[in-house]
Amino acid sequence: MEETVLEIKNLSFKYQDSKKRVFEGLDFSVKKGEFICIIGPNGSGKSTLCNSLVGLIPYYFTGKWGGNVIVNGINTKDSSIAELSRQIGFVFQNPFNQLSYTAGSVAEELAFGLGNMGVPRSEMLKKVDKVAKLMRIDHIIGKNPLELSGGQVQRVAFGSTFIMEPQILVLDECTTQLDPLGSEEIFDIVKELNKSGVTVVMVDHDMERVARCADRILVIAYGKQIAIDTPEKIFSNLDMASFDVDIPDFVTISKILKERGYYKGEITIDEASAVNAVKEVLA
Amino acid sequence: MAKTSNYIPQDSPIDRMHPMVKIYAIFCLGLSALLFPYFLFSYAIVIVLFIVAGIAKLLKRFSKFIIGFTIPITIMLMFIQGLYSPKNETILMDFGFARLGLEGVVIALNIIGTLLVFLGTFYLMTTTTYTGKLVAALVQSGMSVKVGYLILASLNVVPQMQRRMSIIKEAQVARGVETEGGLLARFKAFIPLLGPVVMSSLTDAQERGMTLETRGFAVTGIKPTTYVQVNESPSDKLIKAILILFFLASAGSSLVLRFVL
Repeated sequence: MEETVLEIKNLSFKYQDSKKRVFEGLDFSVKKGEFICIIGPNGSGKSTLCNSLVGLIPYYFTGKWGGNVIVNGINTKDSSIAELSRQIGFVFQNPFNQLSYTAGSVAEELAFGLGNMGVPRSEMLKKVDKVAKLMRIDHIIGKNPLELSGGQVQRVAFGSTFIMEPQILVLDECTTQLDPLGSEEIFDIVKELNKSGVTVVMVDHDMERVARCADRILVIAYGKQIAIDTPEKIFSNLDMASFDVDIPDFVTISKILKERGYYKGEITIDEASAVNAVKEVLA
Repeated sequence: MAKTSNYIPQDSPIDRMHPMVKIYAIFCLGLSALLFPYFLFSYAIVIVLFIVAGIAKLLKRFSKFIIGFTIPITIMLMFIQGLYSPKNETILMDFGFARLGLEGVVIALNIIGTLLVFLGTFYLMTTTTYTGKLVAALVQSGMSVKVGYLILASLNVVPQMQRRMSIIKEAQVARGVETEGGLLARFKAFIPLLGPVVMSSLTDAQERGMTLETRGFAVTGIKPTTYVQVNESPSDKLIKAILILFFLASAGSSLVLRFVL
């Protein structure tokens, strides 16, 4: 049986100054090596859930908290955020929030977390070099992070999390500052990490990417867990428009063809299967 | 290496010197100037500091800094001590409303000399030392990493605030706020900047805390390591020893001059 790395048990949270709960009754688990995407309308609690997974809630955001979050067998209530950071890496929505603001160069910024974990300097140098090349920031390695563009800072933010080699990676809409090509590059890296066994929990609004990358999709809306299932099942069974969520074009194509009786196969979630569906109809 | 805070990268022996040597210089030279009873001693050290600034290729900046500090502080201290010191007995000049006394002038020159030594050494230390190197050196010397972070974060506050201020200023200009022009126009534009800058800095402090924790900053039971490396050379050790000896010699001679002779 596959190992469970994340367990969310009947989780609910209400911010201190808010009248209603952000969400309640969230209950799901994540297996090792899974790629989970969280989708839902704005204000549905996606970022709050991410903050709960890494322990920022309840430690940094005060409010009424219920239920449990268990990361690799450790209840977040019983551990400090710093201790949890050995297991789980977090890439913030705003990349500037990821910076330590003490580093004089990108290299120092990447190495900050490794230094906290006591990684020997010789190993640190190798890792910084490797991650800088991977994130294509090796040409700005000596620059001050404060002098970089938003997209460059986003790459540094990713790099500073990847370099820690976490077993679980939580990404909260973290490609907002990148152009489409840069964004795809980052997701290719995330997919590679996932293939190597890293569990990924990602919040994203690009539904085509979600459909393509996710093993399962968690839908939260109006403070409730609507569903958690494979992309095929989520997009074929749910009326996503009612949750203010776009449906990928590839899904729409096969759905319309199905509704009009031209196509009898499964709902398509990526380009290749959508092309095959159209070919089948035309044949 | 990128420029942060006051550091001005230069290829000079002072730049390459171990940061702890410069810390030792601040305390050894500053305390020597403070203890020694004759003010000329402090000014002799200040002349040495000018030579050091020359070696560090910072003579122009150092001179500007020293002059900029000396003129207002001299006027202020001469006014307070020179004219109104209760120790004034030997009158040098009578202005009618107050009299300039030799004893007060000597006290003022003593204070100015000591301040110049402390500030001059501190200025040279900050302009010739990369902050990351400074903190790495302090941590290697046994200082807590948290205190090290505090020092680095404090030294980086100014560039961050400047960056934030320019972002807010751009946003306000885009909405039609006049930020250029005469002194009054610029002052009027500056006031509305303060609120957002201060408030966002406070929010930043919370976010910074979250970032640090998610990057393992407060993790326990681990001896942290640093990316920036500092090594103490034999010449660094020698200069450190000379500074300590200098302090001991001036402290000893101060005692003799004050209490024996």
